[in-house]
Order: sequence, then C-alpha cells, then structure tokens
Amino acid sequence: MQEQAFRFGRARHLVGIAGLPPSTTPDVVGVIVLNAGLVHRIGPFRLHVEMTRRLNALGYPTLRFDLSTIGDSASSGESQTRKKQICADVADAMYLLGEQAACKRFVLIGLCSGSQSAHMVACTDANVAGAVFLDGYAYRTLGYRVRYYVPRLLNGRRWLRVFTRRRKAHQGGSSEPAFTVAPLPQEVVRADFAGMIDRGIKLCLIYSGGISQYFNHARQFRECFGRVITHPDVSTSFLKEADHTYILTGDRNRLLDNIERWLSHNFSVMSGTSS
Amino acid sequence: MNARVEAELPFYFGPERTLFGLFHASGTPARKAVLLCAPLGQDQIRCHRLYRQLAQALVTEGIAVLRFDYYGTGDSAGDSAEVDWERCMADTAIAADELRKRACVDRVLAFGARLGGSMALASVAQARFAGVVAWDPVLDGQAYVAQLDAMQSALCADGQRFMVPRKPADVAAQWLGFAISASLRQQLADLHIERPSTPTLLIDSLSPDTPRHVNGFEVDAAMIKSLQQLTPWDDPRRLEVAVLSHSLIQAVTHHMREAA
Repeated sequence: MQEQAFRFGRARHLVGIAGLPPSTTPDVVGVIVLNAGLVHRIGPFRLHVEMTRRLNALGYPTLRFDLSTIGDSASSGESQTRKKQICADVADAMYLLGEQAACKRFVLIGLCSGSQSAHMVACTDANVAGAVFLDGYAYRTLGYRVRYYVPRLLNGRRWLRVFTRRRKAHQGGSSEPAFTVAPLPQEVVRADFAGMIDRGIKLCLIYSGGISQYFNHARQFRECFGRVITHPDVSTSFLKEADHTYILTGDRNRLLDNIERWLSHNFSVMSGTSS
Repeated sequence: MNARVEAELPFYFGPERTLFGLFHASGTPARKAVLLCAPLGQDQIRCHRLYRQLAQALVTEGIAVLRFDYYGTGDSAGDSAEVDWERCMADTAIAADELRKRACVDRVLAFGARLGGSMALASVAQARFAGVVAWDPVLDGQAYVAQLDAMQSALCADGQRFMVPRKPADVAAQWLGFAISASLRQQLADLHIERPSTPTLLIDSLSPDTPRHVNGFEVDAAMIKSLQQLTPWDDPRRLEVAVLSHSLIQAVTHHMREAA
C-alpha cells in the first residue's frame, strides 16, 4: 500500500495524504481524520499516521489532511465563519477520497477540537455515515463532582498537596494565552446526537483519563447525554489510564484497537455496508 | 487562488517513493536552494509551523526550499521505531539531490533545529551542502539521551497528564511519544559531530545554564549568533506547545540571502 500526497480543495488550498488500499469493495466507507488542535495532519505523536495505516491494512481508504490555515494548508480566501469553512473543507476532503477510492459515505475521526469539527460536519452532511469522537464534548455532572470531591475531602494529606500546588501555580503562573473554543451547551449536543442517530449515523465516543478536569468515569457518558447514549448505534469507551493525546505507545495501540473493532463491527469492509 | 500556495507542492520521492516532501518553488529562477532538515521526535511536530514559515520567508528571497520527513517520521513511510540515524543521513542526501533537480540548482544549503541541525552538520559531505545553519544542534549525544530518558521516566508520575500513575514498563522503549529502537538510542549516544568543512552558522537560543558542548565542536565566536528569545526545548510543560521564533526566521533568512 502506498500513500499519495494531494493538494486539493475548492481553492486548491488543502494538503492531505490519502491511503488507498489496493482493492476496495464498492460502497466501503472512507475514513477522514481531522486535525487535533493545531497539530498538523500526522496527529499528536504521529497518532493519525498509525491510525490511517492500520485502517488501510484492513481495507479502508483514508485521508488525513490539514484544515484551512492549519499545518500545510492555506486559507481558501473566502470570507466565511470557521464552521462553514470546516464543513466546506471536509466536503472537499470527501470529494477527493470519493474520487480516489470510489467511496460515497464517510466516517469522520477527530480528537479534541477535531472531535468538535467532526461533530459540526456530522450534524449537517448527508455523506457522513459514522463519527468517532475522541475526547469530544463533555460536561461536569453531579456524578463527576461527587467522584472528584468526595475522595479529596476525606483525604487529609491531599489538603496539604492542594495548598502547595495552588501556591506554586500562583507563583509560577503561566502567562501563555489560552486558545480554547467555547463548548456547545449540553442540551444542544444531546439534541445533535439524537438527530445524528435519527439520520442513521453511527457514533463512537472514546474519552481518555487526560480530560479528568471534566470527565472521570464511564458512567458520565449517560450523565452528560442521557438515554441517547444507550442507543444501539452509539458506542462509548472510557480509557482511564490514557492521557489526552495518547503519548504512550501502548495506550495508542489500545485506542486503535478500539477504533478498528468499532469500524469492523459497524462498517464491514467485506460487505461494504453498515451493519 | 493564491499563486504562492500553488507553488507549494506535496509529493513522495526517493527509493520506492517512501519519503514525503513539500517543495516550495521560488517565483523566479532560484540562485540557490535550502534543504530544511527536521528534528526528530516531538521536536519535529513542535517545529512544523516554524519550518513552514521559514520556507515561505526564504521563497520571498528567491530561494527554493524543500521540507521533508525522514523514513519513519512524519508522513514518510515506516514506523517510528524504524528511525535510524544512518538512514536519516542517507535520506538527507537523497532529499538534497531531489531539491537540486526540482530547483535546477547545484548549490544547496541546509538548515536544521536540534537533531535536524546535527543531521545537517553530519551530512555535509554526503549531501554536498554548500553551507549549514544549525539552531541549537545536539552536539553531545550522551547528554541528550540522558535528558530524554529523564523526561520519559518522569512521565510515569505526571499527574497533570495521567489520572493514575503509570508503571515503568508502560513508558519503556519510547521517548516523549515515539517508540525508539535500541540501535537509535546507541547511535544518538555515540553521536559525534565533526567541525564541518563548509561555512556554518550556529544559532544559539538555549538557556544560559544549559551546557553548550560547543568547545569540543571547535567553533569560533564568529560562527555563533545568539538569539535573545530562549527556546524551551526541554521543558516538559511545553512538550506539546509549538516552537515559534520570528527572530530565528529573520536570522536564517538574512544569513541565507547573504550566503555567497
């Protein structure tokens, strides 16, 4: 299997790498991997390279690419909102992969802000058949607070550590600007998920222990999103040991095992259809 | 559509087209060309944007540029555990020839940060570089390996990153996110960079308390330019923060423009 580099898009402003298995069955889904934050298309610690190559080996065509102004991609020159631009960029990516691998439906995979981008597109694009949200939207629930605070309140030694840490943080506080995207309201995300499921989109939410400042237990999926999360087309996993960007090779392999299993179960390469 | 964007061409090249490159063509016939040698590991990701900005700055000076990924890194073929120093040097020479061919020039200079700087210096003869700019190159391999080992070990107890402490076995055979082979570890520990036979500029932005190990490298002061802005290469809190430096881009662009 050889990867191919492309400059593509409505303004030929996007750069991406397509992994095209030697033979694909008709109607196999194409997998598109979106930028995690400002890291270029290879992903944190080359996660997206490992991911796409493993999926190629299973027979899935893939594209990892840089959204407008990230990595090696330039601006399209259009004046539009970031949301519209992301949807248009992903539409360009789907067109390219469709052209190269003859796939008509797509699975989007995104970590962190990439998950937000995937969510945005999955809300409106009819070509999306599935989405993998890695450390996507989450909210501190009552359950989160109980799990977070009760053990700390009962542990005297922690009080000392908390005090010391606060003092250190105060003394050596970072003056770095923080670039974050305001999350969508919980009710909106819940309704979005319901809408996606109504449209037949299969969802896979995999959250890590690296977002423990707002997510700390597998139970929290249900606490955040309600009954929609128990729908058969939704799969959830909480990889408590892993950090947010999967810095350890063992954690990356476990994540990729999860994604492979979910894809194989829901979008079999053999049948080329969603099951 | 932006003509500058169209002049940035992503492609695969080299043996069996295993190496990824991005060629920045100069608008006018290039008088010289610069090969950007990437660092290894997380430094490569941290420097990606800076390398792109530098390439675009050099192009405005009429200098053609090639950025590329060694085998086992970035978008090139191969696993991270397959990165090999000798092969990286061979890839550098192949990339330099690819640049000569695409830019239609014979005169190729090299720039590299950290291990990319070491790579550029070590490859001068093999890649026929006419000059090198090395930014905080790694000149003492043993100290570098020890530093990476220490940072990797410290990950086990990094409460900011992990909810639960990790076992030493979980972090073994890796450096800051990348699997490494025993042979690469040994190659880096044995790293010894000879004083190059070509004009060289060392750009220094290490913190004052960092050992320079420049003495063994035998350079004179005229070969060193210090940047006021220090670069926190080894700060674990900034492991995933991009390295950006306007003054570095200015210094390198100025030097490459003036390079005879």
